[in-house]
Amino acid sequence: MLTFKLAFRNILRNRRRSILTLLSMGGGFFLLCLTLSMSEGSYSNIIDIFTQDHTGHVQIHKDDYLERPSLYKTINNVDTLMSQLESNDNVIGIAPRIFGPSLAYGKNKTFPAQVIGIDPQLESQTTRLKNKVSQGKYLTNTISETGYYSAMIGYSLANNLGITLGDELVLISQGIDGSIANDIFEVSAIVGDANSYEKMNVYLSLPAMQEFLSMGKNQVHEVVITLENQSLARSFSKKTQDKLVDTDLNIEPWQVVESSFYNSMQADKKGSYVSMSIIIFIVSIGVLNTILMGTLERTREFGVLKAIGTRPSSVFFLIILESFALALISCLLGLLLSLPVCFWLASSGIPMPEPIDMGGITFDTMLGEVSWFVILLPSVVVIASTLVVSLIPAIRAAKISPLQALQAT
Amino acid sequence: MLKLLLSALFSLIFILPSNSCLADEDAAALLKKMDELFRSNSSIATMKMQIITPNWQRTLEMQSWTQGMDDTFIRVLSPRKDRGVATLKKDKEMWNFFPKINKVIKVPPSMMMGSWMGSDFTNDDLVREVSMVEEYHVAKAVEGENYRLTLTPKQNTVTVWAKIEIVVNKQSLLPLEQSYFNEKGEKVRSMMFSEVRDFAGKKMPAIMTMVPLNKTGHKTVIEYVEAEFDSELGNNIFTLRNLQTRF
Repeated sequence: MLTFKLAFRNILRNRRRSILTLLSMGGGFFLLCLTLSMSEGSYSNIIDIFTQDHTGHVQIHKDDYLERPSLYKTINNVDTLMSQLESNDNVIGIAPRIFGPSLAYGKNKTFPAQVIGIDPQLESQTTRLKNKVSQGKYLTNTISETGYYSAMIGYSLANNLGITLGDELVLISQGIDGSIANDIFEVSAIVGDANSYEKMNVYLSLPAMQEFLSMGKNQVHEVVITLENQSLARSFSKKTQDKLVDTDLNIEPWQVVESSFYNSMQADKKGSYVSMSIIIFIVSIGVLNTILMGTLERTREFGVLKAIGTRPSSVFFLIILESFALALISCLLGLLLSLPVCFWLASSGIPMPEPIDMGGITFDTMLGEVSWFVILLPSVVVIASTLVVSLIPAIRAAKISPLQALQAT
Repeated sequence: MLKLLLSALFSLIFILPSNSCLADEDAAALLKKMDELFRSNSSIATMKMQIITPNWQRTLEMQSWTQGMDDTFIRVLSPRKDRGVATLKKDKEMWNFFPKINKVIKVPPSMMMGSWMGSDFTNDDLVREVSMVEEYHVAKAVEGENYRLTLTPKQNTVTVWAKIEIVVNKQSLLPLEQSYFNEKGEKVRSMMFSEVRDFAGKKMPAIMTMVPLNKTGHKTVIEYVEAEFDSELGNNIFTLRNLQTRF
């Protein structure tokens, strides 16, 4: 108890020194907190934009469809699967899809195209496809007056084929029953631009696609799920996989589906950890400096304490306690300073003068993030480095003989 | 002594090739018969094609017209979905017609080894196989009740097969099996002939079964339902215009 009292008395006695120490350590906390917030924030922002583009957070396929896609690897009971998934509270959007690479005919040219059958309503709730319609109207399930299903076509494909809104698009592919799938569609919209993912795609409504490929009503190739937060993806897919009766199906989080994107992002993150650790190092050097100065200055004081019979262990704990209290207060101070800034960064962000283009998805603002990780890591760094740094002067003070200490200048 | 030996050698040299020449001519005649077995000068046939794969299975009914070795016209009658899909082969060129999209698509040379209508027959089978006598050297061997014809491509022949073997019954002179070998000498696919039936006075195997040996579970069976030979065909059958007629 006496040690506590002494420690706080010591802190309060030399106010200027304490405040300087607090400022230095609090500043370190602030710096670290902001850097973390920015880096974590921009990564999760990139992930959000990326997954909302077309990947979704979790995908379900049959067997190894992901590595070796095949027309015949279909999910056959999609209705029951989807109603089962909808009951989960974390699920925000579910979208079924059918893929069929085809040959597309325009007026007199042909090009290969990835034809994707989507449920227009569900797809718009799951990904940003609807927002990417640059000309015309978003896809519907209905058949036009001319008797054709409508199709949305990627920007580059439309350009290459030389067709535009209202034109006929002829697709030829292989049906699931071995027949030659061939049909005419009417272009109702053009999606994306020359750089986006959809540039060579054709989107048909689910019924149109099933008729085109002679598939059953309940057959799809892929089910895409978006969750409340992308960080839930791994645990969600694991839990759902365990609950699933149909063991043919594989549930994969976006980290697996887009593994090349995820891996390059992880590598980039590792790089930024290097610069982060440099900042941590600088912060702890600052802490070392203030604590060391604070104790060296008071060598004579410790000599007096020793001379009147204080045990070495008490002196040791006194110094540790002082530093700990200072670290704690500076963390609170740093938090007080950084939280408003972090929240501002998380809500409005810093607009980038030059938008970055990653795989057809543009990022134009740097966003921050407020999470436990962003707050706890700087606190741990500041407190731990303070304790480690104050060990040396504390041991020195505990060991020093009163005579030597009193003679020190 | 030396003279005798020489003359013996000479006679050997002369006799051997002439012998094989004779055999080859015989074999070539047999091969020509194989060529014309299903075609004659002209033919009109109705056939059923059953395609079996591990993933799906379907039966097509179709009608074919052939003239000589060069012209073929095939039109699908059923299922309803594919009704009217037609193929025209004239000389070395080939076109497909899809009534639903009203398009004639020329089969490019690169697609010749692609499957025809999803079956185990390639486009090439339809176009090329008919001219075996012209494109292959042939040798004949006797094997019990059968002849075995071994076909090796001539120097200028463009083909993927290094060897084709045909087993022909000695008595009926009808084929039993036709095997295709790749350049490594492996048997890649084989076609079996069975059920000899009488078609308008001509005996021929009604069922042909094509089994690709590199794809397990795949099989295509063609059955001749009706056939008529050497009838007069108008000269408007093997035309692009006929290809595009809806019926």
